[in-house]
Amino acid sequence: MIMKRRSFLKACGVMAGYAVLTVNVASEAFAAAMSFVALRQKSVYAADANPKIYTYRKSQDNPMIVKIYNHKDGFLHDGPCGHKSHELLHTHYIDRSAKLAALKAKGYKLSI
Amino acid sequence: MVPADLSAIHPQAEGSMRLVEGVMSRNYAPKDGTDPDKITFVQVDADKCEACGACEEFCATGAIQSINDDGIHQVVDPAACMNCGQCLVNCPYGAIYEGVSFVDELFAKLKDPDTVVVSMPAPSVRYGLGECFGASTGTYVGGKMHAALRKLGFDYIWDTEYAADLTIMEEGTELIQRVKEQGQKDARPLPQFTSCCPGWIKFTETFYPDLMPNLSSCKSPIGMLGPLAKTYGAEETDTKPKKIYTVSIMPCIAKKYEGIRPELNDSGFSDIDATINTRELAYMIKAAGIDFNSLPDQDPDPVLGESTGAATIFGNSGGVMEAALRLAYEVLSGEKLNNPDIKVVRTHEGINTADVNVPNFGVVKVAVASGLKNAAKLCDEVRAGKSPYHFIEIMTCPGGCVNGGGQPLDPEIQASLFRSTVAQINKRFRARKIKA
Ligand code: SF4
Ligand code: SF4
Repeated sequence: MIMKRRSFLKACGVMAGYAVLTVNVASEAFAAAMSFVALRQKSVYAADANPKIYTYRKSQDNPMIVKIYNHKDGFLHDGPCGHKSHELLHTHYIDRSAKLAALKAKGYKLSI
Repeated sequence: MVPADLSAIHPQAEGSMRLVEGVMSRNYAPKDGTDPDKITFVQVDADKCEACGACEEFCATGAIQSINDDGIHQVVDPAACMNCGQCLVNCPYGAIYEGVSFVDELFAKLKDPDTVVVSMPAPSVRYGLGECFGASTGTYVGGKMHAALRKLGFDYIWDTEYAADLTIMEEGTELIQRVKEQGQKDARPLPQFTSCCPGWIKFTETFYPDLMPNLSSCKSPIGMLGPLAKTYGAEETDTKPKKIYTVSIMPCIAKKYEGIRPELNDSGFSDIDATINTRELAYMIKAAGIDFNSLPDQDPDPVLGESTGAATIFGNSGGVMEAALRLAYEVLSGEKLNNPDIKVVRTHEGINTADVNVPNFGVVKVAVASGLKNAAKLCDEVRAGKSPYHFIEIMTCPGGCVNGGGQPLDPEIQASLFRSTVAQINKRFRARKIKA
């Protein structure tokens, strides 16, 4: 069981270089991931600028947005941040720091 | 379009594991009322962990760490984990699994003729989904995605991008209000932080609760679309709200946490019934035997479906900022913004700051951070009262949602990392031999 769990690195007998290698692996992974992300980002901006995909480029120009905020008969007729919006589209937040404090009290070390 | 035949698809036992687009995933759909803080959305399979430590490098909070002398890693407690999944997508050994999956429950709802199933896909899904069907990285497949959802049997193809446009209207208006009320009694503080990213929201609530007043009170786009589907959408389509089952489709794991937040019930029901990610949608399309690549391009259903370029850029780090500025510029200056490209705020990694000149108003100071380690720097500045910004956008995942924890994996990460690890070991080994 212990052998099975032993890491590939350890099995290769590179105990001394282990710490350094860890950092390298992570930074290399980051570099690889970021070039991958760049391809997706580029495609997003291309779609934004492509009138065949998006007729409008500003939220306020979306006809269905204009419709929902219509002063006369729109579902959100009292406008953005109006009464109905506050009811349906806004929220509040919950302090979760106590759970963290409890964890630290148990002896866990976190980075923040 | 005739829906695919799902009769051959049967649910697996609750708690069983299956491979979903290269990631192990536990068949578990939390019931309403389950405390999201007690659920493990991301965890390490100790038998597969090779103790390389890459996950720890990618985690901003330290939630994932070595738990024994062998260097085996675990997420030590869900309270410290923001559910971003960055550890998962970067583990070179595929040792990290997802703890929550609504796939089987969703298949059952799609088969039930009495349930009106509503699709709500996020912007980034359409830039990742194609990769699971052989398309090159980032290929836009929005039209095919809508067709695939129809084919799977979703009754309404509504779109989170519509709600992204709505978010800009609400969050942009809130920002303008906050700027105007400075100096008055009870003014809400600046900078205003964006509130679209669920990993970031939990991060603020956990590590910087004193900054919660700086968070925009706006729900995220999916947080807005859920309740609108069961109120406005129900009205427009003459559907009984209690028959509606809303499905959030996200590039993200943390959205599964957001989806079960108990306070999101403003429609009178649970606003979001299920959350799946891009990988799970691809899995479902394949399981249903749908030939994705031969699908025609289709539009979403109107009313809650139409969207703009400003909505689609929400997927990139800096996108919410740019979309908000496209509104704020016109409202504050009273002039038309002729070129909607505000490239200075586009962010690939790290922290990006800019002064945006708005005629008839002045300078709007903004900052964009991608990655929670960078977010913490901006938070410390705000906490110290030294932040010069009006508006700050934070995304948990480096680069934004397009790089979310629920997106298809980079095939190179596992392959090249393994190769580079072996290469480095060999190099060291050779170096030692030569010296000796
Ligand atoms: S990245 Fe994967 S293999 Fe490496 S320590 Fe973390 S869980 Fe284990
Ligand atoms: S999901 Fe995110 S916060 Fe949780 S352990 Fe992984 S990297 Fe850390």
